[in-house]
Amino acid sequence: MQFKKSDLPKILDSMAKEATVLAPMKVKGNSKFAPWGTEGELDFGAQNVLLPPKDCLFPQTEKMYRFETDGLKVNDFEVINESRPTVLFGLKGCDMQSILCMDDVFLTKGYVDDFYKKKRDDLLTVCINCTTVAKECFCDSMGGSPNGHAAADIQLYDLGESYQVKAQTEKGQKAVDSWQQYCNKDEGEIKEIACELKVDMDGVPEKLAGMFEHPIWEEISRKCVGCGICTFLCPTCYCFDIDTTKDGAEGTKFRCWDSCMFSEYTRMAGGHNPRPSKKERVRNRFLHKLEYFKERYDKNLCVGCGRCVAKCPVNLDITSFIDQVKEVASHE
Amino acid sequence: MSQMQEELRQKAKELLEKGEVRYIIGWGKGRFHHRPPIFIYQAEDVDKLVWDEYCVANLGKYLLDDKFPEGKIGICVRGCDSRAVVRLVQDKQVKREDVCLIGLPCTGKVDQEGRELVKCRDCMHRNPPVYDIVLGEPVEEKGNPDRFKRVEELEKLSSDEKYEYWSNVFDKCIRCYACRNVCPACNCRECFVDQYRVGWQGKQKNCMQNQIFGLTRAYHIADRCIECGECERVCPVGLPLMELNRKLIKDLNSLFGPYEAGVNPDVKPPLGEYRLEDPEEYM
Ligand code: SF4
Ligand code: SF4
Ligand code: SF4
Ligand code: SF4
Repeated sequence: MQFKKSDLPKILDSMAKEATVLAPMKVKGNSKFAPWGTEGELDFGAQNVLLPPKDCLFPQTEKMYRFETDGLKVNDFEVINESRPTVLFGLKGCDMQSILCMDDVFLTKGYVDDFYKKKRDDLLTVCINCTTVAKECFCDSMGGSPNGHAAADIQLYDLGESYQVKAQTEKGQKAVDSWQQYCNKDEGEIKEIACELKVDMDGVPEKLAGMFEHPIWEEISRKCVGCGICTFLCPTCYCFDIDTTKDGAEGTKFRCWDSCMFSEYTRMAGGHNPRPSKKERVRNRFLHKLEYFKERYDKNLCVGCGRCVAKCPVNLDITSFIDQVKEVASHE
Repeated sequence: MSQMQEELRQKAKELLEKGEVRYIIGWGKGRFHHRPPIFIYQAEDVDKLVWDEYCVANLGKYLLDDKFPEGKIGICVRGCDSRAVVRLVQDKQVKREDVCLIGLPCTGKVDQEGRELVKCRDCMHRNPPVYDIVLGEPVEEKGNPDRFKRVEELEKLSSDEKYEYWSNVFDKCIRCYACRNVCPACNCRECFVDQYRVGWQGKQKNCMQNQIFGLTRAYHIADRCIECGECERVCPVGLPLMELNRKLIKDLNSLFGPYEAGVNPDVKPPLGEYRLEDPEEYM
């Protein structure tokens, strides 16, 4: 079945009655997933929205619990775990894949993060295939595809004037059932596309496993300025810090995104820093993306969304790095 | 442009071969239109140096990564890079005798669509004010008659309107600190933001904490900002940071007389110097 693009606002309106519908939008010059119904314009361009969707499952700042103390005694303690039904509408394949990476981290291997889980259970994912690619996109080299994602609850296919609908989970089917009034029979053909930017990941994780002490890290990290752009814009970077605000007897614990590219990220009590320079930090980021995660979860932690490629102020580009790894001798 | 690039490579080769510099910081070829900073150690690598309209990043800050160099550092300087080096030398972060400045008069850089960068449109020193060697011919300075135009418009707003305007701006900040990290005026050994135990800056990302960061940073560098516009260029969410910097420059100019940071190594920044005739507004 399929529905006309002109009916999209009505469908979004109807979903927004029961859930927060986050869609790719331009809001006051900012490009992000924003609630449908607020100020801003839908933006389904080739370029990914600048800010990744991870904020809705793993907010940049998230309150965890409130407390009240009396000297050393805790008088009151309350976990804050707020969530409401949410729809992520218009995800591209790369961003859908990033959610699977986050699921691995927050839900598997013996630990379930309640804050994440509640939001994840409340989430409905709606993917749209890409009809054009940005020059920085390389998802199909990293195990994904611009043509959709099988893990989305609902997959939409852009047919030009309309969207073809495919419910892929029970949850998705339930949502699609309520769209019936806008839907009619399928016609038109789904066009498949491919990314222009290609990297060859074949053997890269294995090769990197032997390159911890390689001179390449010193060389490639020289130009890095140690900012948080690549990690904060990355849909799969999930590091956080936990901190407290306290006002008299009352306080709140919160967690917030942290970045392995920041100098104080690994600073320990007493001042020792096991990653003292950008060499160690850049190495950690690339090895985590391309080797460690693969070993632990059998996925690349880079989904090829291209955000860091487009936005790093000095073009420390993960795709060029992969090319370079292919070329260098493992031990120099 | 390509002739200058040839001259640059020749000069770089000569400096490296004669051992006058240990390495050269310049621009190289990146993935697309990018010309990321590169570091050339060998004479046979000088052909990796690029000089064209895409050489965008300011190079001065890299000197802080090598404060006690084994031999001189050669560094390509346009007007803005040259001023950045002067700033770092004035703050005693870098020794003038440790660097060899290869001057490159500049006619402005463009983005991938070929549009002139805002920072270059606003540039008032396309010729490096300080250098050891200069290549090519001096270019005409075009000044910036609109330097404070936007500031004057903002000054007309009421306090409430100003508050709303800046709240909207800082609401978008993602606190990546790229603006700080590229800024040649931001050279504190430890930034107030990272002084976690002191607690100047909360780690929460919200409008208030973002404002604490943005405003404190602007004040900290008020008389040291060289107007290179790098902070605004790298900001991933496109915040108009130069409006804030120029407001402070404008106020300083009216309090202490005209001053441009990083242009003349012998003139100290107004807030780093005490003069008997200084206004007493804050006393
Ligand atoms: S790689 Fe680029 S975006 Fe990432 S920290 Fe370094 S300079 Fe910033
Ligand atoms: S590393 Fe870069 S390209 Fe890969 S997923 Fe993260 S932001 Fe996207
Ligand atoms: S504040 Fe911005 S314009 Fe001023 S010196 Fe720093 S980076 Fe350059
Ligand atoms: S570069 Fe922009 S987003 Fe990043 S901290 Fe600075 S003002 Fe905020």
